[in-house]
Amino acid sequence: MTKTFWLVFLASACMGASALQAAQPTKESLSRDLEEVARVARLMVDGDVCERIMTPRALEKMFANDPRDRWAGSDNFDVNHAPYVQIKKTLMRLARLLPYPVDCNLWMPFKDRPGKIQILVRNKHEMSQFWTWGVLFQEQTAEMAEVLASERPKTVAQKGDWVSVLTPVSNSLGDIVGLVEVVSRLEVNWQKYVK
Amino acid sequence: MGSPRATELRRLTLTAARNGYVSFYLAVKEPRPGPYSLAVSFNSGATSIQSELFKAWYHQFRPRRTYVPDALIPVLNPAKGQLPDPDNRVPDQSCQTFWVDLWVPPDLPPGLHRGRAVAEARGKKVVLEIQVTVLQATIPDEDALTIDHNSYGTGWMGPLYPKLSRSEGEGFYSSDALFKLIHAYHRLFYEHRGTFHQLGYGHGGKVGPEFAPVLTGEGRKRHIASWDLFDRHYAPLLDGSAFRDTRRGPRPIPFVYLPINPEWPASFLNWGEPGYETEFVTVLGEMEKHFRETGWTATNFEMFFNHKKRYKGFHWDGDETRFAKDDEPMLEYSRLLKKALPPGSPVQFVFRHDASWRLEQQFQSLAGAVNFWVCSRAILGWLPEELKTVKQRGDIVWIYSGAPSISSTASAIIENPLRAWMWNVDGYIHWLAVSPSEDPWFDSGGEETCLVYPGERFGIAGPIPSIRLKVQRNFAQDLALLKILEHTGSGAILRQELARRINGSKLEDWWTPRPAMADLPSEEWTNYEIEGGVEPNLHVFQNWAPQFWEGIRRYILDLAEGDKKQ
Repeated sequence: MTKTFWLVFLASACMGASALQAAQPTKESLSRDLEEVARVARLMVDGDVCERIMTPRALEKMFANDPRDRWAGSDNFDVNHAPYVQIKKTLMRLARLLPYPVDCNLWMPFKDRPGKIQILVRNKHEMSQFWTWGVLFQEQTAEMAEVLASERPKTVAQKGDWVSVLTPVSNSLGDIVGLVEVVSRLEVNWQKYVK
Repeated sequence: MGSPRATELRRLTLTAARNGYVSFYLAVKEPRPGPYSLAVSFNSGATSIQSELFKAWYHQFRPRRTYVPDALIPVLNPAKGQLPDPDNRVPDQSCQTFWVDLWVPPDLPPGLHRGRAVAEARGKKVVLEIQVTVLQATIPDEDALTIDHNSYGTGWMGPLYPKLSRSEGEGFYSSDALFKLIHAYHRLFYEHRGTFHQLGYGHGGKVGPEFAPVLTGEGRKRHIASWDLFDRHYAPLLDGSAFRDTRRGPRPIPFVYLPINPEWPASFLNWGEPGYETEFVTVLGEMEKHFRETGWTATNFEMFFNHKKRYKGFHWDGDETRFAKDDEPMLEYSRLLKKALPPGSPVQFVFRHDASWRLEQQFQSLAGAVNFWVCSRAILGWLPEELKTVKQRGDIVWIYSGAPSISSTASAIIENPLRAWMWNVDGYIHWLAVSPSEDPWFDSGGEETCLVYPGERFGIAGPIPSIRLKVQRNFAQDLALLKILEHTGSGAILRQELARRINGSKLEDWWTPRPAMADLPSEEWTNYEIEGGVEPNLHVFQNWAPQFWEGIRRYILDLAEGDKKQ
């Protein structure tokens, strides 16, 4: 039943992909496509499962500030396998709604660290408009804070040929617990971040 | 290098085994600005010593605001130059140093060979007589130890070779120019008795197109659609033809990363489902067939997982695993690999794991799955007995670390390979060896991730060596000679004797006492406990003089010559 639903859903979503109809995608057509994927992501990404990804121990160690061991946060980073895999697969399916390279990344803020956020699930094209490569966590951008507060998606397309759509993720209580970044660019760099 | 003994700078005497290099460092000094020339020559003949000159570059070393020589620019022989060097821009430079490599061919008659170095400046000529005693002993072609130089992807090549990449435009990363450049890196390391690795995928599973065959289809329909880029990249390396014009001759590379990762060749979307197994097994089976049919059977094809969960691409650590639950995916990949390969295949696939925190446990939990271990030297340091067990079952074992700074003592580069040899493991890997500072020439940070430099600045469309690489190569030659001696005597006795000669230590001093924390779960360890506990022992041979190895080399050459005469 679930798989049937997905097939129907994928077909209808792909039909709406404007980049399919355009010979040369533009940032505008990219934005429209990604906004459609983000609309689906808003519904399909389960915030309760997202909240179960991090292990409590890793969350605690993430902010450890030990001058003798500057890698303590990274070396103790850990996730629970089952929820991670479940969410990653959902994000991968969402990215496949479009026929060109798209990544859907999960971003999670911290309950007790206002203003901080971490990218928690990335995907295979290694694209993100916001992630500082390699950092465990970082400051929320103004766009992220806006989406988390307003509970409305936002398209960010100021930087080069990048387009990201940020959409909120909610749990069963209706709380906004994270963001999905649906991201692509006009020219994919196949060598970048092969490292 | 090479046992130099100069008498008032007029005579240099060296001793060398055949089929190898003997080297020395030569300085041209002229207090007044102006041109100079330098020539090194030997009696010509059908077979003679061949000399090569490399001009040292003086890097502006940022931390100490001083100049340090390291990069070696190949120059013509005779070399013509100017003091101060207008390119290097060292204020008031009155001395230019050259690294001189003398190649001693394998068929050169033993005995005394004479040559000379002639420097000329301002109409004045200075002659240095060079006497090389060529021994009967011959350095074997085979290395005693694999000394590997690691790198990641090809994205760094465009920025390091801007003229070359600009000339190829957008197609650079699929151009013949790129593959020639990659092969040039392999050749340079090979000529220096090393190997070169390039990992072809990222932490999220993105595979560089030049590192993998093109796939098509999904599930049952997944297959390899094209070998074009892969074969243009790898065929000359895997059949050895990329090394045809080297002194060591053509030989397939001994190791290569495969692009296998959790997202390739099977899509992670199907992880844990039948489709994942089908995609993985089908593609690996097709790879085995391609390698077998093309005769690429001399290389170890590595299934290796480099990803770490801290980079948020996957849920488990493939590299330096710290959590026991992360062994489970590795056991699954071992099962899939075994299922994909036909029994008795002549193609050598190995499962490599780079291990640190859980090394001791994984030697057992992944036995029979992983058969190529690249180990933290600090942690392997307290596991000598476990190492014996792993070696006895036929696994390959290397240790890893990084290169010393250009400001370190000249002999520091041999520390890790020497430790690897003392421990009787199979190899040592510099974790990153091709990544210079943003401006290595005028604002160097120490080049601890760089043993070869981009040559484009000097009109060379490929990498150029460094002093550290040359010192390492000459050391590797000594190890290769020792390997002959191991065949005729006890390796343990030989190592014991070398330890004694190096610093009066015993072989057991080169290992670390097991720290108390080793009995705790590795999740409870900290980096400073590991480093604090073992570093003093890691540097058992600390404070050695830059030239300390010369005495050991002399001993090895004497041994090798004695062995030859027996």
